[in-house]
Amino acid sequence: MGLHKKFGGAVAVNDVSLSVRQGSIFGFVGPNGAGKTTTLSMMTGLLRPGAGQVLVGGIDVWREPIEAKKLLGVLPDRMRLFDRLTGAQMLYYSAVLHGVDRERARARIRDLGDALGLDGSLQRPVRDYSIGMVKKISLATALIHAPRVLVLDEPFESVDPVSTSQFVDLLRRFANGGGTVILSSHNMDLVERLCDEVAIIVAAGILDEVRGPTSLEERFVELAGGRTAVEGLEWLTTFSS
Amino acid sequence: MVDHVLQLKLALLGSSFRPGPTLNRTLAALALALAVAAAIVVLGATVDVANAEHRAGTVIVGAALSVALAITPLTSGLGSAMEPRRFASFPLSPRRLAVSLGAAAAVGVPGVLAILLGVGLESAWSATSTGGAAVVAGVLAAAAIILTSQYLVIVGTQLAVSPAARVLVTAMARAVIVVALAIVVTTVLVVRSGENGNTLVTVAGTLANTPVGMLWAAPGSDLAALLARLFGGAVMLAVLIAGWGFIVTRLLVSPQRERAAHHAAGLGWFDLVPATQAGVIAARSLIYWTRDARYRLVLFALPIAPLLMMLAFAIAGTPVPPLWLLPLPVLALFLGWFTHNDVAYDHTALWVHVAAPLKGAADRWGRVVPPLLIGVPLIVALAPLLALWSGVEGVLPALIGVSVGLLLTGLGVSSVASAVGAYPAARPDGGPFDQPPTLGVRAGWSQSLALLATFAFMSPALVVAWWGFTEPEWFAIAGIAGVSTGIGMLLLGVLIGGRAFRRRAPELLDLVLRT
Repeated sequence: MGLHKKFGGAVAVNDVSLSVRQGSIFGFVGPNGAGKTTTLSMMTGLLRPGAGQVLVGGIDVWREPIEAKKLLGVLPDRMRLFDRLTGAQMLYYSAVLHGVDRERARARIRDLGDALGLDGSLQRPVRDYSIGMVKKISLATALIHAPRVLVLDEPFESVDPVSTSQFVDLLRRFANGGGTVILSSHNMDLVERLCDEVAIIVAAGILDEVRGPTSLEERFVELAGGRTAVEGLEWLTTFSS
Repeated sequence: MVDHVLQLKLALLGSSFRPGPTLNRTLAALALALAVAAAIVVLGATVDVANAEHRAGTVIVGAALSVALAITPLTSGLGSAMEPRRFASFPLSPRRLAVSLGAAAAVGVPGVLAILLGVGLESAWSATSTGGAAVVAGVLAAAAIILTSQYLVIVGTQLAVSPAARVLVTAMARAVIVVALAIVVTTVLVVRSGENGNTLVTVAGTLANTPVGMLWAAPGSDLAALLARLFGGAVMLAVLIAGWGFIVTRLLVSPQRERAAHHAAGLGWFDLVPATQAGVIAARSLIYWTRDARYRLVLFALPIAPLLMMLAFAIAGTPVPPLWLLPLPVLALFLGWFTHNDVAYDHTALWVHVAAPLKGAADRWGRVVPPLLIGVPLIVALAPLLALWSGVEGVLPALIGVSVGLLLTGLGVSSVASAVGAYPAARPDGGPFDQPPTLGVRAGWSQSLALLATFAFMSPALVVAWWGFTEPEWFAIAGIAGVSTGIGMLLLGVLIGGRAFRRRAPELLDLVLRT
């Protein structure tokens, strides 16, 4: 079953349309301020679009939010967790809010703790975690109710290389099992390696869905308006003594 | 053998005085124990057993303290409880272990207080013809309390199979002690006031025919009842002793009851609440109420604000006793009103609720649990005392009803207000007094409207309560009106607030994102 998503009309995002196949990993890249986070927030029911429609597995996110949100796992960027809770409590909280029962939630907390290398820290409050650890617990929070569609905003930011490769394996497994992943990132190499399809968003509108031989980074720089020669920073190389 | 177990007990007692995080708790417990001991000595010396009300008071106080002392060993968390099974691996005969444990139980705070309580009874009756009987009754009662406490330790350790259950057992034991001490204080006050003597005598008469009260009533009975009660006490003690030997023997050969260890256990409040949306939100809310500086500030301010108000009125020349009716309604109003901006206190963590398939009413119910858990027991426990001090006849139902009504109505109004009229609040990592730079006019509107609406909805009950001061029969009606208004407004508030929350969740998230 294909997924179809349309947007439009919000100030930051102008008439963006895209669709993502089930079972694929979809990368969403763009320069700072292009509207990535805004678009992803509208897709997940966190930000009301000015106009347009979002369909997840045929269910309209903004007309039937409860049904649609059962299918979605979300990792937003720069939003806090309930950080007085311990990692285990936070995961349990998210699980039960999504309708997972007690025993299953406990088992999944153990599994995710092992898979993401969090076991030692699950009993500590989230506010004591480092930024990378918070990303890990956020990803676990998005995964714990076994959603069909994962929407991850900058999931790899501040995550160490070992954990990143763990993340990547996990997402691959999820997609191979029929799950759909939509993620945004600044890391072009990673997006190129990981994603089946990539969309580049520049200044509030999708420009291209990239396929073919040119490397993603080249294409991205080209679409975003090309490199501009850096001028007027001569003092930078005068090296004050 | 006996001396080895006693040595262990003394070492345990000594270790609780080691410097460390538990020392403050030890000292607080010790202070409470000393206060109770002093009270027993003073009451034993001053009670006038020729007076029927004083006799009744002795029975009630004795019974209440018996229950409190018997349950005391459960309050310290069972970590180092002298439970028979812990000695199973030592080469001891069960009989000797039973004797040793019984003796060790007499050493320690509850044991000493139980003995003191027995001595208190003896000193009260010492100058009368039944002084001898009082000595027998006192000894039997002290021994019975000490042995019963050992039974309760066993029951407690049987129940406490998981960390959460252990917390629950400890908390319930502490609650029982608080209630028992409240009964003692109330009884002493009633006896001193010299009114309601008949109620006291009736209650004491009932208690005198139960195991907890019969020994305390024995010295004051006529000869036949005295002998019957002493005999009953002796039988009770004999049964306790015989049963003790039997239970120790059985426990030594039965396996420990322990739930299969979850290593991911220890979810705190989450283990105690049902695994539903409202349940976990209540648990999360409770954690924030107890750990977050912004909520804790309110908990500290709660008792102070009403007292300051009382002080102000008293300085202005209002007679003091009726002012005792003020603190509870003010406290209830404040506690109910406080949650009117609860959503903004979550700050951007609110996305967890918005992204989940969450029913609005579940969110609302979860958030009202902590103030209900704090407010309702406080009102029910303090109202009788404050009503008594106020000296206003028959005011108790109105005081309880109006306070509960103000709390529940406030929570209902807040449930709607926090979904409709949320405004920027202090951030979770900021200080409790921090205010966001853009408070806006909306904050003022929300705050005052929430307060006004609570008053408006409660005004019928408040007016009826006011009539009660001239015609006391209105007090009962005010009580019923208050409670029913509260329940109705809470249900309505959760319903409307829940719908508003579901509809406006993205806008609320937008609001907290901008602060």
